[in-house]
Amino acid sequence: MPVVRLYYEDMERLIGASRETIMSRLAMMGADIGKRAEKDHVDVEFFPDRPDLYSAEGVARAMQGFLGIKTGLVEYAVEKGPVVLQVEESVKSVRPLIGCAIVRGLEFTSEAIESLMGLQEDLHWGLGRNRRKVAIGVHDISRVTPPFRYFGEDPGRKFVPLDFTEEMTMQEMLHKHPKGKDYGHILEGCERYPLIVDSLDQVLSFPPIINGDLTSVTEDTRDLFIDVTGTDPMVYKALNIVVTSLAERGGRVESVLVKRSEGDFLSPNLEPSLWEVHADEANKLIGFNLTGTELAECLQRMRFGAQAIGGDLVRVSAPAYRADIMHSWDIFEDAAKAFGYEKLKAELPRTVTVGRAHPAEVRKAEIREVMSGLGYLETMPFTLTNEKVHFEWMRRSADEAVARATHVLHPISELHTILRTSLLSCLLEILALNQHHPLPQRIFAVGDVVVDKKTRMHLATASIHSGASFSEIRSVIDAVLGELDISPEIIPSQDGALMPGRGADLVLDGRRIGCFGELHPLVLRAFGLEQPIVALELKWGEL
Amino acid sequence: MLSENDLKVLKAISEGDSDPQSIAKKLDMKVEAVRASADLLNEQGHVQVIKSVEEIFALTEEGKKYAQEGLPERNLLLAIGPGKPMADLKDPSVKISLGWLRKKGWAAIEAGVLKPTGDAPQGKDEEILESLLAGLKSSTVLDNNGLAALKSRGLITSSKTKSWNYKTTQTIGVASNIDIVNEVGPITSDMIKSGHWEDDAPYLTYKKEKFHIRRYDVTLAADKIYPGKKHPYQRLIDNMREIMLEMGFVEIKGQIVQSSFWNFDALFQPQDHPAREMQDTFYLDSQAEIPDFAKVKQMHECGGSVGSTGWGGCWRPEVARQEVLRTHTTGVTIKYLADHPRPPVKAFGIDRVYRREAIDTTHTPEFEQLEGIVMDENVTFCHLLGILKEFYAKMGFEEVRFRPGYFPYTEPSVEPEVFIDGLGWVELGGAGVFRKEVTAPFGIEHPVLAWGLGVSRVAMLKLGLKDLRLLYQSDIEWLRRTPVSIKL
Repeated sequence: MPVVRLYYEDMERLIGASRETIMSRLAMMGADIGKRAEKDHVDVEFFPDRPDLYSAEGVARAMQGFLGIKTGLVEYAVEKGPVVLQVEESVKSVRPLIGCAIVRGLEFTSEAIESLMGLQEDLHWGLGRNRRKVAIGVHDISRVTPPFRYFGEDPGRKFVPLDFTEEMTMQEMLHKHPKGKDYGHILEGCERYPLIVDSLDQVLSFPPIINGDLTSVTEDTRDLFIDVTGTDPMVYKALNIVVTSLAERGGRVESVLVKRSEGDFLSPNLEPSLWEVHADEANKLIGFNLTGTELAECLQRMRFGAQAIGGDLVRVSAPAYRADIMHSWDIFEDAAKAFGYEKLKAELPRTVTVGRAHPAEVRKAEIREVMSGLGYLETMPFTLTNEKVHFEWMRRSADEAVARATHVLHPISELHTILRTSLLSCLLEILALNQHHPLPQRIFAVGDVVVDKKTRMHLATASIHSGASFSEIRSVIDAVLGELDISPEIIPSQDGALMPGRGADLVLDGRRIGCFGELHPLVLRAFGLEQPIVALELKWGEL
Repeated sequence: MLSENDLKVLKAISEGDSDPQSIAKKLDMKVEAVRASADLLNEQGHVQVIKSVEEIFALTEEGKKYAQEGLPERNLLLAIGPGKPMADLKDPSVKISLGWLRKKGWAAIEAGVLKPTGDAPQGKDEEILESLLAGLKSSTVLDNNGLAALKSRGLITSSKTKSWNYKTTQTIGVASNIDIVNEVGPITSDMIKSGHWEDDAPYLTYKKEKFHIRRYDVTLAADKIYPGKKHPYQRLIDNMREIMLEMGFVEIKGQIVQSSFWNFDALFQPQDHPAREMQDTFYLDSQAEIPDFAKVKQMHECGGSVGSTGWGGCWRPEVARQEVLRTHTTGVTIKYLADHPRPPVKAFGIDRVYRREAIDTTHTPEFEQLEGIVMDENVTFCHLLGILKEFYAKMGFEEVRFRPGYFPYTEPSVEPEVFIDGLGWVELGGAGVFRKEVTAPFGIEHPVLAWGLGVSRVAMLKLGLKDLRLLYQSDIEWLRRTPVSIKL
């Protein structure tokens, strides 16, 4: 989750409340506050559904409402400006959507620049899917001359990218510029690359990779041009979040006329979205009991425009920077936060039902009882394992067996590449780890294995000591089968894991449901085990 | 009156064997039996028994560190050189060393400056640390005051071992004045049936002969045995299952291999959601059959008929068909609800889930998750809070508080926190009401209250584990030593 650094002094100034008040209420608005508050700042994690809180300005705006200092919808004035941006057909197959805005009269402190850059990065992560869906560029507009052009350019075009001093082609940037290396894959297979230039053909931005060096923002920058490009309407939300956060810093927003073949529009559009919700529905969902007026008051504290308009009906204007309002319940949750989770009355529902354990768990408990009675200790090994241990070491490498295992596509380590198809090798791994403890050791596991993608339930046991013998395990299997009331046929086994002539298969209705016997010394040696082991494995159920 | 065994032991002792272990080995007897004979021989004046207790010392982790690197006060002394202002020594870690430094009189504070007082020779405690590192362990060769000091600082531990030493009392030949009788060790079935047993005297008449019944030293320990038992973690899981069953929930289970449809799409997770990416989820190279998806597709693209905006874009069935190892049990839950859409439903499951995470002390790629849901007419978010309070109280967490949270498929969402002595408020699990976008496509008309938590996190708290791997790659000694009576 994005971490937003909040400087207390900055926050006190922006919110108009004391540090203590802010800190005591922040979590209840919806945030994870790190345990490590520093002297002058605290790092706070906000949830991924609230990208409007990824900047100090956004947090301040929300906090002012939550604390009741300033409530209701913030109306951001957008002055109609003269700047035009032309979208050309050539870019539409690559990165079709663009929104832009101008914000003037800013005074940047280093903290404000840090907050803006942090916001940009967090939005790239939170809304932008690492720039694929949404990418943001911020420019010092005084360095360029409108109108602007957004088009698909030949990758051989040269310009000086941000943080570089020499020209290079866009193609080269994808391999040489650090941002090109990080995000170049987004443009893979594209014949033309997106580019924004001014009327003198100077480059502002090569989205979603890098800005031109010409328009880089410094503490002297006063007027900004912001472009947000991408493939999803989330582009406009991201633009609104950046623009309104700058407006909170005192910037004046000016619109840009975006011209395109499917129709021109003025950008940004900071109009709220309109909803009508019933207090009755909110009460039914949350369990409190609010009138329309009370619901409206709660929502105003979450910076919605809200007005009770008779009965339980409330007209709601959701701010243009909110990316998470999809459904009336999203609005009701905000009302509950404003009301205060700590004030909600926790009560048990009257739903009457009868509890019932799953038959497989009942069976497992029976097996545990029997195995404990036989002196075996329970273990609960991982279900992820690897082919080497599971098949090769067990001398069970037949292609068919390996093919029936579930292989994960991108294992995180060589140790965990498949789901186990049997339990025995997992027990042997545990015994191998425990050789320094006194023998005999008798362990069992009862759990899931996956064969042909289906979950089956197995039992396996292993007993290691110098006197471990076939007759010992024969006694155990007879006891287990008797307790579980299963009567399979017992026939000599061909299982490579068992010693020839000292291993048996359990066959029920023509299917092999298990095996038992003395383990093959080559299996023991593969696991680094030095004492005889007798073992059994039994499939007793499936889901 | 001695038995044959006693005689053998006496003989061995007279031949110079002086400890029970070597005598037991020589005579192929149990050590306990040798000790019992020796005690009897002692009572009758044939043998002298010298019992001794030796205290053996070993370094603790911290002690080992200091033995290798030097005591902190020694290091501080070296660090201050000719003197250092106290203002430079504010680090809290210095405080302890400073205390010892002054206690030992190696340094003093003059006008705010810490100065060495003399040449600070090696102390007894330092000598002991050195010898323990070199392998010396017995109290007989180590300074007692030094040992006590180190023990109080938690740098060494001690354990006591008993030993026995036997000598014959007469140097002349054995058995000159020894009266031998038959003696009985183990009682046989035949003796029980046909022997004549005296009420209180230690004699048995059997097959017309009189036997002395050997007395055992009942204070002696025997070989250790360990019972078979349930895994402590399973014990915890079963406790939680019992709580859920008591609260009237039906236990449900599902497949480990799931389609993305049930694991993600049915829960209204957009197809480009970061949690669905390869780095967080174990994907398989196979496709699953999925049910009629028209309503789910419509919900994702435009919000269906519940007044939602949906995610926009194009929902693709081939993405939903990709198989994964379930990343949570919620996929199993929504499938169960789709099959049981009529109220009331109360269901729970505790099962293994898979996340593509590297293994370390607090992360494992698979772990158990508990999940519970309540679906009924007129249930509310406040009821969810009520259930959570009840559930956590039954788990032994009496104090619970609620903070807003965020989960992609619930609205409203809440993060419960429980109060744990010594740790403070600890986040434990997540909860919320299933979004309409989740329930509507499956014809579920009433609110679904849902909560879940990582069971292995609870195990760490309750079993005091420092390393999660111990649950799965268990140390057998830990399993043997964790009593079934452990409070969970």
